[in-house]
Amino acid sequence: MNAPYIALSTAFWWDQFINGLTTGSLYALIALGYTMVYGVLKMINFAHGEVFMLGSFAGYGILVALGGDDLSGPMIAAAILAAIAGAMVVSATASAVIERLAYRRLRNAPRLAPLISAIGVSIFLQYLVLDRTEARAKFYPDIFPRGEFGAGAFQVAYMQAFLIASSVVMMLFLYAIVQRTRAGRAIRAVAENPANASLMGVDVNRTIVLVFVLGAAMAGVAGVLHGLFFQTIRGSMGFLPGIKAFTAAVLGGIGSIPGAVVGGYTLGLAETLGRELLNELPGVDLGNQWRDVIAFSLLVTILIFRPTGIFAERTATRA
Amino acid sequence: MNRRKWGRLHWLLAATALMSLAIAACGDDDDDDDNGGNGGSVTYGKAGFKTVEIAAGAPVKIGVSSVTSGDLKGLGQPIVDAAKLAGEGKTIQGHAIEWVVKDDQCSSDGGASAATAMLQEGVVAAVGPICSGAVVAAQPAYEQAGVTHVSPSSTAHKPTYPDRGDVFQTFLRTTYSDDIQGPAQAEFAFKTLGAKTAYIVYDTDPYGTGLRDAFRKAYEKEGGKIVGSPEGFEKKATDFKSIVTNIQQAKPDIVYFAGFYSEATPFIKQLRAENKDVKFMAGDGVKNDEFTKGAGADAEGAYLSLPSPVYAGEGYTKFSALFEKATGLKVDASPYVAESYDAATVIIMALEKAASKDGDKLKIDLKKFNEEVRKTEIDGAAGKIKFDARGENAGGETPVSLFVVKSGKYEEVKK
Repeated sequence: MNAPYIALSTAFWWDQFINGLTTGSLYALIALGYTMVYGVLKMINFAHGEVFMLGSFAGYGILVALGGDDLSGPMIAAAILAAIAGAMVVSATASAVIERLAYRRLRNAPRLAPLISAIGVSIFLQYLVLDRTEARAKFYPDIFPRGEFGAGAFQVAYMQAFLIASSVVMMLFLYAIVQRTRAGRAIRAVAENPANASLMGVDVNRTIVLVFVLGAAMAGVAGVLHGLFFQTIRGSMGFLPGIKAFTAAVLGGIGSIPGAVVGGYTLGLAETLGRELLNELPGVDLGNQWRDVIAFSLLVTILIFRPTGIFAERTATRA
Repeated sequence: MNRRKWGRLHWLLAATALMSLAIAACGDDDDDDDNGGNGGSVTYGKAGFKTVEIAAGAPVKIGVSSVTSGDLKGLGQPIVDAAKLAGEGKTIQGHAIEWVVKDDQCSSDGGASAATAMLQEGVVAAVGPICSGAVVAAQPAYEQAGVTHVSPSSTAHKPTYPDRGDVFQTFLRTTYSDDIQGPAQAEFAFKTLGAKTAYIVYDTDPYGTGLRDAFRKAYEKEGGKIVGSPEGFEKKATDFKSIVTNIQQAKPDIVYFAGFYSEATPFIKQLRAENKDVKFMAGDGVKNDEFTKGAGADAEGAYLSLPSPVYAGEGYTKFSALFEKATGLKVDASPYVAESYDAATVIIMALEKAASKDGDKLKIDLKKFNEEVRKTEIDGAAGKIKFDARGENAGGETPVSLFVVKSGKYEEVKK
């Protein structure tokens, strides 16, 4: 009944490619938090998806407070920057508090303890926000200019261009901090060997807080971008992107910063383009659900055959 | 050491991921069983009818399975309020009526657990569940307990044509099946709106898939063409970007949405960001003030249908006054409240007839009660109600109304 995918136009595949990059940017931003925390603490911070959600709500609050749908002209740009900055602060603060209250005491406990604590924090935050919002969706103000630019079949919506560009800027910014600053050197030192780093005069506690704060700030940015793009946010919104971003981090090689970025984009593109290819299978009417099937199949495959991910970091040698 | 533990964790994660995969894969099933009218022989499954005893002075409990929190509260809460209104000032042979309200979240597992919970509390009848997904999941529990339930708003094909073949004797509804709504929408889209091609987007629950099938069949019969492959989504989905790209590729005259307003709102915003011109049509799950409020300007021009007549009988006028006074809401802005009032009324009337005094106790024969419900004929708030053998409402004549959104309001359109 349906035309085979080969007949679909260049514009179609280009659009889906951009959709993949958009989703991938969000996954990559969130995955950075997972991978950095894993890098220094060897723990999976399952509350990270909720930190992303908090950022999204913070951005929403700021945009509404600044005028919401009534914003116009240059005020829109100012409001969006304020929302992003505010979300970064809120997410970073939340993450630092979570680290202090829920993880620090468990740092030397068996590995499952902080993992369970993280799941607890995740559920607590999710239901706290669901309760405060009566479990209803909130709609981001519809302020971002609609429309697209480009040549011929290669059109990009302003919103998607903005989302991808700001994600890349944030990732470069993070990379610069980790590679070029003193604090970044401390992070790398602690990731390599916390005991030795501490002997060299690195304040391990402070460095770990910094890792949480940096990862959370990225998630906060992702939260606002997600809200601006999809326009719908709710208390439970952090769960699936959280798991997906975790998948991306594992895919790229957990512990590796470039790995998280590559993993994020790979997953975003695989999901979006794979969905379109598989959707053409006759008799299987899964639609959007293909995306989850693809993402989690990838996770399973990678965990079984190459648990160290694309960028095989030192995980394997650390036995 | 680390490596071994991490290794074990891998397997755990892999197993979890595999499980989610399996769950995702069985989320959707197509049913292509034929839906020819109300004819054909109807066989019932075996219901566990019992006789219930209500102690002296104890209330008679009636359940309500609806949505009382979350995105769909705007749909579910007024339905609960309307059902309760039907019991005001009434007793069952002198025994007070106690409402047992459970939140089923419009979901399959919610519907089943709400049923279990209220049955444990000893309800003798129930209004709801309000969503077809919840109805389908809850039907076996009600059937097993022999408790008759009347849904005011479940419109899917499946509740009255279950997969198992045997019809559920304990299920009835005061609304109309999508076997009526779907064709009415198809005819309107094809003839009145002149839409020759349609693109279908649907919720993967029984309501969405049922409406999808009913619409598709009727639309193709009219001579319309379905373009692209119908796209399913799950509840609480927010990312419709890929679907919108597919719609842009297929270039349909109309986008047909079978689902609820909670997903229709983000969907239409994302659709309108790229396509201002394509027509949009949806059913009763979307026609709610929450949709026009949430989608704002993007909701303008959307076509919605509701499988109940814009009724102006005496029962409706009386109920409207009562409902608007009690809740402060407008009846025409709250779908299915009249049907809910009628469902509760039918239940209360039948209970009154089926119950018998035994000393100072009250005895209710659930089988007799079921028969009484099936026999009931009323001129209710939502129009004439009488049930056919499948539990379908066979009272109305032209039950589907159509609306268009204009300046944020629903305006009725004539076919």
